[in-house]
Amino acid sequence: MSQHLISLLLALPLFAALVVLFTPRQMVGFIRGITVLAMLAELVASFGLLDGHYETAAMQFPERHVLVPTYGITYSVGVDGISLWLVLLTTFITPLATYASWTHIGTKVKEYAICLLMLEGAMLGAFFALDLFIFYVFWELMLVPMVLIIGIWGGVQRIYAAVKFFLFTMVGSVLMLVAILYLVAQYKAQTGHYSFELAELKLLLLPLKAQLWLFAAFALAFAIKVPMFPFHTWLPDAHVQAPTGGSVILAAVLLKLGTYGFLRFAMPLFPSGSHRMGPFIAGLAVTGIIYGAYCAWQQQDVKKLVAYSSVSHLGFVMLGIYSITSHGLSGSILQMVNHGISTGALFLLVGVIYERRHTRNLDEFGGLAKVMPAYAAVFVIVTMSSVGLPTTNGFIGEFMILAGAFMSAHLGISGPLCAFLGATGVILAAVYMLHAVLKMFWGPITKPENEGLPDLTRREGIALAPLLLLIFYIGLFPGRMLDSMKASVDTFASEYTNKLAQGDRHPTTRDILVVGPQTAALPQPASPLARLDAAPRKPAVRAVADVVAGGAP
Amino acid sequence: MSAIDLALVCTFLPLGTALLLLVLPGLRRAGKTAGAISVAAASVALGAALLLFMRALQSPMLERVTMQWLPHAPPGAVDAAQSTIQLGVHLDGLSVSMLVVVCVVALCVQIFSLGYMASEPPADFGRYFMWQSLFLFAMNTLVIAPNLLQLFIGWELVGLVSYLLIGYYWQKPSAARAALKAFWMTKLADMGLVAGLVVLFKHTGGFEWTVHTEVAGTVTLLLFFAVMGKSAQFPLHVWLPDAMEGPTPVSALLHAATMVAAGVFLVARAHPLFEQAPSTQLVMAYVGAFTALFAACIAVVQNDIKKVLAYSTCSQLGYMVCALGSGSQVAGFFHLTTHAFFKALLFLAAGGLIHAVHSNDLRDMGGLFSRMKLTASAFIIGALALCGVPGFSGFFSKDLILEEVFARGLYAPFAALLLAAFLTAFYMGRVILLALFGKPSSHAEHAHESGVSMTLPLILLALPALGAGYFGTTLSGLYAEPVHFHTSAVGMLATALGLCGLGTAYFMFGAPQGGAALRAAFAPIGRLAASGLVDRAFLAVYRHGLRAFASAIGWFDRYIIDGLINALGYGTLEAGARLRPLQTGKLQDYVYAMAIATLALGTAAVFLR
Repeated sequence: MSQHLISLLLALPLFAALVVLFTPRQMVGFIRGITVLAMLAELVASFGLLDGHYETAAMQFPERHVLVPTYGITYSVGVDGISLWLVLLTTFITPLATYASWTHIGTKVKEYAICLLMLEGAMLGAFFALDLFIFYVFWELMLVPMVLIIGIWGGVQRIYAAVKFFLFTMVGSVLMLVAILYLVAQYKAQTGHYSFELAELKLLLLPLKAQLWLFAAFALAFAIKVPMFPFHTWLPDAHVQAPTGGSVILAAVLLKLGTYGFLRFAMPLFPSGSHRMGPFIAGLAVTGIIYGAYCAWQQQDVKKLVAYSSVSHLGFVMLGIYSITSHGLSGSILQMVNHGISTGALFLLVGVIYERRHTRNLDEFGGLAKVMPAYAAVFVIVTMSSVGLPTTNGFIGEFMILAGAFMSAHLGISGPLCAFLGATGVILAAVYMLHAVLKMFWGPITKPENEGLPDLTRREGIALAPLLLLIFYIGLFPGRMLDSMKASVDTFASEYTNKLAQGDRHPTTRDILVVGPQTAALPQPASPLARLDAAPRKPAVRAVADVVAGGAP
Repeated sequence: MSAIDLALVCTFLPLGTALLLLVLPGLRRAGKTAGAISVAAASVALGAALLLFMRALQSPMLERVTMQWLPHAPPGAVDAAQSTIQLGVHLDGLSVSMLVVVCVVALCVQIFSLGYMASEPPADFGRYFMWQSLFLFAMNTLVIAPNLLQLFIGWELVGLVSYLLIGYYWQKPSAARAALKAFWMTKLADMGLVAGLVVLFKHTGGFEWTVHTEVAGTVTLLLFFAVMGKSAQFPLHVWLPDAMEGPTPVSALLHAATMVAAGVFLVARAHPLFEQAPSTQLVMAYVGAFTALFAACIAVVQNDIKKVLAYSTCSQLGYMVCALGSGSQVAGFFHLTTHAFFKALLFLAAGGLIHAVHSNDLRDMGGLFSRMKLTASAFIIGALALCGVPGFSGFFSKDLILEEVFARGLYAPFAALLLAAFLTAFYMGRVILLALFGKPSSHAEHAHESGVSMTLPLILLALPALGAGYFGTTLSGLYAEPVHFHTSAVGMLATALGLCGLGTAYFMFGAPQGGAALRAAFAPIGRLAASGLVDRAFLAVYRHGLRAFASAIGWFDRYIIDGLINALGYGTLEAGARLRPLQTGKLQDYVYAMAIATLALGTAAVFLR
């Protein structure tokens, strides 16, 4: 059983979607029930993944079947310390979002259920995939139900938002597809046969120029998904128009596919390209942190505010990833999960007030703490988590990212600067979030419409309670998660740095920036980080300086 | 029970109370019961703290238990024990003394609140005590911290409770604003602490304050930035006077005695680190002394009794910071101790006065001494201690600070502190004369003594406010070389200036006639002090800097970044629409087009060969 766990996890939602497909559309109650039940079964089954050996970096629960031998297309899936928690986040958030937002969806319930189930299956597939072909299929498959969710069950401008979302994502994906095909062709040229498998393609040595282009294509696809500044403008529209359930899944899981893509594909495949563009991406990440925060502060629509806060928070994640330190990377993965929980909860909360007032304009509220005390309390707790208050989940992630950026050898002299600017983002988070709290909950009630608003219903409470528990659980005991991702993260960092050094020795590589020959000859200590420390700082610093002087490659 | 267990009781019993009130809404909404439970928990916590204190008096105490919190070993860490991130309990003279101070004041304030807040709706009353308990937990977490990381966790939590309690009357817009301002200002400052932790972590692989490191200068400077925010040092003090929007007992506990002193406690705690950074200490000495003088000047012209006390708190915190800057851990922390008692006493007594006249304004008081003798006497005791009148606790600690600062040759800060001592006596004299004596205002005529729950804490606090000074040698012996108090020229000078201040106040506000000329002489300083220059500067930065920048970014995002995308989209659509007429659907058009194209290609093929 356990050797097919991942296949089971992938099949279950799709099977449930099939069941719903053949259910008469009048049986709304049955459809809702079976959907949530299937998602809960999925959640329970996914706990089986915790039973892996995450003290090693090897893929757990691996499965591999050759699908198309001629082109080397393989059904290759697995999970490691990096994807484990994102998978669990997916299986956890999806039933919550579905359950909490059922009552908001009145039409085409059957299609909605199928969309959500397909979406869950596709997201999980993208997290599990270890073959670029499979990944690409799931990656595109994810897009379809989400576009439908926005376009059919969305707000007034749903078509505009859905098309915008679709086009943005498509532009990136198509370039990524071209890059994948080029990569596979290169593999064929070097080895004589095709393969789409990540493990095989990682072994390929590519000249720097090719790496740069390929990395750029992958990075664009992922950066749009994250979304990084300046590719973020689809996000506020998509969020504002999407129904609550869609928003929650979009923010909590879908965006993580972007950051995950960097970690799993773009950076391991093209380390030299990534390294050359690293300072540029870190710069965009920091810009995103501050830019997103200021934009969030400026919003009147509270859903837009939360959407822009995502831009800011995911800037932190990208900064941590590009620090290439154990701390920064672990902090980033933790922060991906944290953002899923906190922002997911925020979108649920925004949905709650929208259902009651049919507006999200901050000026329409005020004094709500009087009529909805429980709602206000939950909102403040989630706000504190979003602001990164210690004992809530946000703190450890943010702190590790800032520490990672500060001591990053890869970022070199710009590391402390990035950390400093990132820290201002933490302050700004307090500014815009508490500004929203002030406008919504405090002060006297000024609008008569707000007088009789009911507090959280039982359904809403049930949906929010697990999120609150997780906020404190992760905040107080982050050790378990950090332990299980440590091996994978360390291996990631060491492979990345080693390949940079290796790329230097490769005859076709013109990458002279990374590490001098004298360090490449050094015996390699066990810990990748110790190795990084052992290497003289100067080359990395010089690399940064060169990139800065020469502009972005 | 072991010492560690006692410390855990001190910390976690209040947390248990807070959680109990959180998860049992029925209990919370019962009001009085919630208050009783909270007070009971605080009493037990105080008992535990006192037991610990007894033990510390018997033998020098140093106990430390830590547990691993995060597994990650930092790069370059040699010592495996140091390389994990830990939480735990660290007990020595300093933390035990601070525990006692916190628990004493917290218990007194909670008892006082039973009476002071009695007219609140029961649900709010319960909520108030839930937060009070949470505060005790957070503050004790900070105090017993074995490293700077745990200290920071407690530090942020007390900040959160402060935000919630300042905004206790959240329906009042000014209270909501004040809470927001306090949170923003302290969050801004707290990033200094975060940065300090990050730098320390990078260079030492841990968060210990005992390490020797070459980056001590940077780290301490960053930590001091956070201290300036929390302990309301110029120019980050602006949130503290506004924080007086909270209920008066809250002001007594958080914004006078304990939370704002957390910054001072941090410096005393991390003394080994600060000792390695003489330049930071110099900065501290000057900032502290300037704050002491500056805030004292403003306190002189305030008409709100709580505002006077708030600026006085700023000023006294300035004394402590200056003392720590001079390198004297003992003087700074000793003044923290005595100040906690007499300032909490002053605030609670002021709360009693406010409760009686239903106004914060000094001009609405007057003649209260004859109507509420007990409260007024308590206020006077606190005020005399604050002025440094010989025999009261404040005299000893303030005297020690002045001597230490003088002895270390910091003459400019010394002069500022002396002047501040004069002003302190002057503004306190003014408050006493305006509020307690003179002609009663219409508000004050029906004032009467408060109930026992509001007078008992005054008596409890009056005792240490009177007597704590005599135990200075014992107290300082707990965490440093014992200091022997003696009469010196510096002390006599300060005392004389203090008495002069009181005298001046009497001539200006108490004497039957006169005072007009004196008041006119002081008027320009008063106007300057009342203008709120720093506040306005911050407001300008906020409005014309940050908000304007945010508007610009918002505009940029909407019209440039998104505008370009939309333009691209509409451009594509428009191009498609323009090209559409080419597809006429008429066969002859297509034949013409084919013929022309063939001709053109043929011609090109011939001529471009």
